[in-house]
Amino acid sequence: MGTENLAEKAQILIRSRLCSPNFIFKPLSDSPDSNYSKLKFIISSSIMEACNNSILLLGPRGSGKVAVLELVLSDLLEEYPDTITVIRLNGLLHSEDNSALKEIARQLCMEHHLLFSKMASFDDNSQFMIAMLRECGLAHKTVIFALDEFDLFAQGKQRLLYSLLDAMQTVTSQAVVVGVSCRLDADQLLEKRVRSRFSHRKLLFLPPSKEDVQRLLEHILSLPMDSSLACDYAAEFNEKLQSILADKRFKEIISNYLNSNSTTNHLLRFLFIAISNMDLKSGFLSLENFKAALSSIQRQPKQECIKDCSILELYILVCMKRLEVREQNSYNFSSVMKEYKSVHDSFPTSDYYAQNVCLRAFEHLLQRELICFADNRGHTQSIEFRQVKLVVSYAELQEGLKSYRSCPAILLKLIDR
Amino acid sequence: MGNEESPQITRRATRLSSSTPVTSNEVETEKITKPYKLTVNDFVFGGEKLSFNDLLSSFPARGNQIRELLRLLGPVNSPMLPLFVYGDPSTGKTSTILQIFRHLNRPFVYASCLTCYSLQILFESVLDQLLLHKKNAANGYSSARRCVKPSDFVNFLRGDLTSVIEKLKSLKKVGPNKSAGKPSGNMLYLIFDNLELIHEWDKSSTALSFMFNLYDVLKMHEVGLIFISNTSPDTYYSNMGYTEHVPVYFPEYTEDDLRQILMRNQPNRKLYSSFLDVVLRPFCRTTRRVDELSTAFSPLFRKYCEPLSDLASVPNEEMKRRLFSHFRPHIAPSLNEIFWVPSKSSTEAETNKDTTLKGSTRKSEVGDHFAQIDFHMSTSAKYLLISAFLASRNPATLDASLFDSTGGSDSRKRKRKASEKSIEQKEVAEQELLMKGPGTFPLERLLAIFQCITSAADSFDEDEHENDDLRAGGDGGLMSDVLLQLSSLCNANFIIKGGSCPLEGSTRYRSTVSEDLALKVARSLKFPLPNYLYRR
Repeated sequence: MGTENLAEKAQILIRSRLCSPNFIFKPLSDSPDSNYSKLKFIISSSIMEACNNSILLLGPRGSGKVAVLELVLSDLLEEYPDTITVIRLNGLLHSEDNSALKEIARQLCMEHHLLFSKMASFDDNSQFMIAMLRECGLAHKTVIFALDEFDLFAQGKQRLLYSLLDAMQTVTSQAVVVGVSCRLDADQLLEKRVRSRFSHRKLLFLPPSKEDVQRLLEHILSLPMDSSLACDYAAEFNEKLQSILADKRFKEIISNYLNSNSTTNHLLRFLFIAISNMDLKSGFLSLENFKAALSSIQRQPKQECIKDCSILELYILVCMKRLEVREQNSYNFSSVMKEYKSVHDSFPTSDYYAQNVCLRAFEHLLQRELICFADNRGHTQSIEFRQVKLVVSYAELQEGLKSYRSCPAILLKLIDR
Repeated sequence: MGNEESPQITRRATRLSSSTPVTSNEVETEKITKPYKLTVNDFVFGGEKLSFNDLLSSFPARGNQIRELLRLLGPVNSPMLPLFVYGDPSTGKTSTILQIFRHLNRPFVYASCLTCYSLQILFESVLDQLLLHKKNAANGYSSARRCVKPSDFVNFLRGDLTSVIEKLKSLKKVGPNKSAGKPSGNMLYLIFDNLELIHEWDKSSTALSFMFNLYDVLKMHEVGLIFISNTSPDTYYSNMGYTEHVPVYFPEYTEDDLRQILMRNQPNRKLYSSFLDVVLRPFCRTTRRVDELSTAFSPLFRKYCEPLSDLASVPNEEMKRRLFSHFRPHIAPSLNEIFWVPSKSSTEAETNKDTTLKGSTRKSEVGDHFAQIDFHMSTSAKYLLISAFLASRNPATLDASLFDSTGGSDSRKRKRKASEKSIEQKEVAEQELLMKGPGTFPLERLLAIFQCITSAADSFDEDEHENDDLRAGGDGGLMSDVLLQLSSLCNANFIIKGGSCPLEGSTRYRSTVSEDLALKVARSLKFPLPNYLYRR
């Protein structure tokens, strides 16, 4: 039972690594031209020189923008423990000006051990923020605003951004605004008055290169030799891991997987499944784990949906497709039923059911979102008469029908024509 | 009929009742009668722990999914990326996950978007559960915290989660010995069910992207998130801010799986299996959902067993053949029904049968029951229904020619009119009719038609002069009663109150009754509806 225990420990260790972005982005940040170093340089220089600054971190979702920012912030908090205040906002939560200012006030109060009033108005909060910025500037303290999902703050009147950036221009403050966004055109979303107050520094986050991926894999998956884990087990684990990483087939799997989306988070999710698949009895990773992970993460939801359909539901899909092929661009349940009837008239089968049974099947398809209503209007109409459209393509439907276990030959014939 | 499997029961049930499917009633009443102080132990299922084999055996054909989920949940205290569990309705997603947590004995919070039908209620329900707050009469059934905005929710959630996790950790220090009720591990799992419903809550879909980003927003390793959805992940792609989670797919049951599931809890397995041989394949062609199949099968099985005197007997080949030949005529009509209403006459027949065992001859004509079904409606409501139907189907311009003083005698004239149209026009019109559905009409038109047909009905069945006071009542007395009937028909969804007409500003109505039903109603009144229907 010794190995099983060790394996479980190793699994927990690697899983917790996968869930902590700080650990993952550490090794990618040591080179001088990494985003980490650049960001750290910018922020620390504005702390040292007591000036205002603003930066945008741009890159696709899951490329580690927030993780790098957090890494920088935690390092800076260590370096300058008393001079930094970090205010974290998220566009998903605080895109409204009112709640954003409230949250800023709340965090400022927390940081400086002041009493936060829930009842404070927008105006109170905004005056409080400006006063705090001034005080912090006088005390040579830097306030760092980390705005996640920056593009959402740019919706509407952008009052928050304006008052923040304007305060930075006029008051003798020391503040750094760091915007994080997955929209590469985030700075174009800004109004003119906001844009002119924004320094156009941008850091672009790119997916890791092949070498980086290799380093990352080693960094995440190999066990440390100096921990509570038995030394010989860790050595053996790492040895096996090395042989897997060097394996050509493994490289193929990884590159196959990263072809669709090569961001770091995407890779982490894959590794998470692979680690969960690890056989606790033997206690080591194997190539099979990665293969299984690939098949369980690369899904084809539309195909699965079609496979889940009953024969009658397939009939309805095929009828709708036929209507579409005939360039009848708007149709509803009644016209689908007409087509179904005409199909049945020309090829009589036992699969001809009453209208209410078909309506139930139709509703199943709606629930599965294989078909959907063409417009949101007409809620008062009953389902039979609302216009619908297919959300599966011709190729998907054909593929799905072919792989369906006992698909009636007539359906394949109908769709081919 | 015990063939509704236990997962069906747990689907929408709370944790308390689903924790012990067998003795749930006892536990619940006990908890209601005495004010029960909730503790940290209530984050897990009470009762005895479910062993792995029991878990597997209680979910036939779900072994792969259970193993996959267990692997992804990992050993005790291992952090987890958010899971996204999806599959069709009634494939056992919720019950499987809940029972897995019972097996693992780990603390969790379950919130379904079905019962928590708005974002605020969802938030408050999660927070209530975390704070071990129970709504009762003493606190006026209010939540522990009022929380509308996602930003407030995150602040509260973070605070509450840390305190709960602290408690869980301290619990571990106090008692390392594993007793039954104690939760294992200090991970807390949040389960959100029926996620696809959030789609409908807000159209801007910020709520959905918030839910998907909850893990990144919280940044807490001790919290595991599990999302359960009926629709596949690709239906969420269009949402801005969608982050992918680890997918776990529950496929629809195959025919063999369905057989296994339906065979559970059957007293006479041999007999039921021979029944399934007959019905399962044809029914699977229309639907593959366990819930729908089991409801369809329960009356059918009773019918199948009808010739048997002893329900416990094991059928041999000869008997199977006999049962089948008796049963065969019932299959086709039941395939074309989606639900079976035990109408008065059939329940009567059934009670007769129980006492005398002679009613079987009457029951053989199942198909006719639907035709005989009686509408519990007053005569005037029936006329109103028919006139609404006519007003919806017929073009308003033809009203004058249809309902002149001679009633339905002008069918010759209409025929000529219809034949004048060219075939092409006819097709276009037909297409339009299919697309548009029943038309709308103002109240005045409905009342005019109503008066016409009631007076016409007067003229052709003179002998039927019972209780119909409104026919005699002339114009004045009739109105209020008819308006009352109309509103009750609207409530019953036979007639829909549509939007108001922009020109006239009056409310317009629309009839939703199908032609079959209208004809049936007309037949019950002996009213010649086909004469009045305009056919293109």
